[in-house]
Amino acid sequence: MNQSDHLKSFFLKLLQQQTDDKATEWLLLQKERIEEDPTDMKFFIAFSQASRYFKKNLFVLSKEQLSEVNHLEKGFRPDTWDQLQAARAFLILNFPSEDATRWLATFHKLFETADMHEQQSLYAALPIMPFPEAMTSRAVEGLRTNITSVFDSIALHNPFPYIYLNEKAWNQMVLKAIFLQRPLYRIYNSDIRANKDLANILSDFAHERWAAGRSVMPELWRFVRHYLNEENIKDLQKEIREGSPLEKKAALLACHSSGLTVARQLLDEHPEIKKDIEKGLIDWEYIGREFEISVPK
Amino acid sequence: MEMFIDPHIHVTSRTTDDYEAMRKAGIVAIIEPAFWLGQPRTQASSFKDYFSSLVGWERFRAKQFGIVHYCTIGLNSKEANNVPLAEEVMELLPLYVGKEGVVAIGEIGYDDQTAAEDRFYRLQLELAKDVNLPVMIHTPHRDKKKGTTRSMDVSEEHGLPPHMVIVDHNNEETVKEVLDRGYWAAFTIYPHTKMGSERMVEIIRNYGPERIIVDSAADWGVSDPLAVPKTAALMRRQGIPEEHIRMTCYGNALKAYGQSGQMDEQDWLKKEPVDQSQKHEGSSVLRGGQTPKVEDSPGESDIVEN
Repeated sequence: MNQSDHLKSFFLKLLQQQTDDKATEWLLLQKERIEEDPTDMKFFIAFSQASRYFKKNLFVLSKEQLSEVNHLEKGFRPDTWDQLQAARAFLILNFPSEDATRWLATFHKLFETADMHEQQSLYAALPIMPFPEAMTSRAVEGLRTNITSVFDSIALHNPFPYIYLNEKAWNQMVLKAIFLQRPLYRIYNSDIRANKDLANILSDFAHERWAAGRSVMPELWRFVRHYLNEENIKDLQKEIREGSPLEKKAALLACHSSGLTVARQLLDEHPEIKKDIEKGLIDWEYIGREFEISVPK
Repeated sequence: MEMFIDPHIHVTSRTTDDYEAMRKAGIVAIIEPAFWLGQPRTQASSFKDYFSSLVGWERFRAKQFGIVHYCTIGLNSKEANNVPLAEEVMELLPLYVGKEGVVAIGEIGYDDQTAAEDRFYRLQLELAKDVNLPVMIHTPHRDKKKGTTRSMDVSEEHGLPPHMVIVDHNNEETVKEVLDRGYWAAFTIYPHTKMGSERMVEIIRNYGPERIIVDSAADWGVSDPLAVPKTAALMRRQGIPEEHIRMTCYGNALKAYGQSGQMDEQDWLKKEPVDQSQKHEGSSVLRGGQTPKVEDSPGESDIVEN
C-alpha cells in the first residue's frame, strides 16, 4: 500500500468507529461515485454535503493511532480535527490523482468556492494531498485570510509551512500569527525555521507595540532568542523590568538560550525563575499555554 | 432576552455598527439571500466570489457579533436578463447549494417578468426540488399582484409544495391569495418602497400570525436593520398578543427555513456568550490589538479604542 491508501484506510477505520453507520455508508458510496464521474460535480457536491452526515465532534485518536499516522506523515495532526474534517480528508484522498492537471484544476476551484469549514478542512489536509508542493502559493494565499479558524488550519498543528514555505512566506506567517495573537507553540517545528530576518522584524514589531502603549505577546521572544545582541537584549531587559510575571519569565527564558554575558547576568539576578527554567518547568510550551489562558490581559 | 430572526437582510452592505445594534436589539440569527449588488455584474466569477463570501467571510463577520448567519443561493431575477452570464451562473449554483447554512434557493422570481427571467426562475425551481431546499421568492416591485400570482402558478407547475416556498415582499393586495394557497407570506419592512411597520401591525391583526414572516431586507439603500425588533415593539404597544409577535418575528421563519435541515435553534441557543476573550482553539475571532467586544460593554464616548 502506498501512503495515500494507508491514509484512506486509516481515516475510514476511525470514522467507522466514531460515527454512525449511515454516515460511513454514505461516504463509501460517494467514493464510488467520485471514481466513476468524469466531471468533478459528484466530488464537489459530496465535499459540501459531508456536513449533512458528519458532525463537528472531535476526531479522537489514541496515542498509538497518532503515532501510526505520524509514521505516514511526520507532524500531521488529525487529532486536532473534527470528524467532518476527517470525512472530507477521506474524500480528498479519493479524488483521482493520475492526471495532475485535472487534479490541480479541480482543487483550485474547490478552494475558491469553499465555505469556512471547508477551507479549514482543505488547508489542514494540505500535507497529505498528492501534489503538496504545487499547493504552496495556495497556502500562502490562505494565510492572508482574516478568518482566524482558516489561518489556524494552515499555521497551527500543520507540517506544511515548515516543509514548503520559503523564508519570506514563513516569516510573514509567524508575524501574522503574532498579530492575530495565535498560540505560537502550536506551529510545527518553528524553532528549526527561526532566522535572523524574522528576529529583526519581530524586534521592530515589539517597538511598534510599545510605542502604541501595547504589550508584546511573550512567545515572540522565542524567535528572537538565538539572535540576541547588545542592542536587542535591551528589549528583554525592559520586559524583565516592566513586564507582567509571564512576560518576565518569557524574557528570561529567551536569555537562557543566549551566550551573552548580559543575558547570563539577568538570569542570575532571578534565581527562582532560572531554577524553574533549568528544571524544565518553564519552557516555550508553558509560556504559550499560560498566555493562551490569560488573553486578553 | 427576547429573540428575533431577520430572515432577509443583505448584511454584506451593512456596517459593524449595524451588527452591534442588531445584536443588542435581540437578533440572534439572520438569513442573507443572494441578490444583486446595485451595480450589475458582468462576469460569472463576480458571482462566484459573492457566493463564497456569503458562506465564508460574512458568516465569520456575523459570528463576531454573536449572530448566526445563514444564506440563500440563487440567481436574482434582474441579472437573469443577461442571458449568457446567467447561463454561466447556473453552472456555479450546484457548487454552493449543498453547503452548510444554505437554507434555501433564493431570492428568485420575477422583476420585469421577461422570458429570460421566467426561464431561469424555472430552472432554479427544478434545482430546489433536486436538492430538497425551500425557495425564497422575490416578488416584483412593478405589476406586483400579477407577478406574485404568476410566481406561485409557475412554482406549482414545477410541483413544489407551497409549504416549501416563502413568498417575500408581500403587501395588503397580495397577502390573502398567498396565504389562501398555503404559502409562507413574508413582509419586508422597508421605508417608502415596501411595507411600513404600522401597516404590518394591521395585517397581523387581520390575518393572524399563521405563516406570516417579518423581515427587513436591509441592504445598500435607505433601510433599517432593526426593522424586525422595531416592528415587534410596535406590535406589542398596539396590543398584538405575545405569541403572535414571537411567531411572526422568530418562530415562523425558523420553521419555514428549518425545512432545509440547515437551521436549528440550537445553533444560537447552545452558543457560548459573545465573549471573544474566551480563546478556544480555532474559534477566536479577534485581530491583534483589538479590544474584545463583550456584551454589556461601557457606553459611548469620544475615545476611539487603542
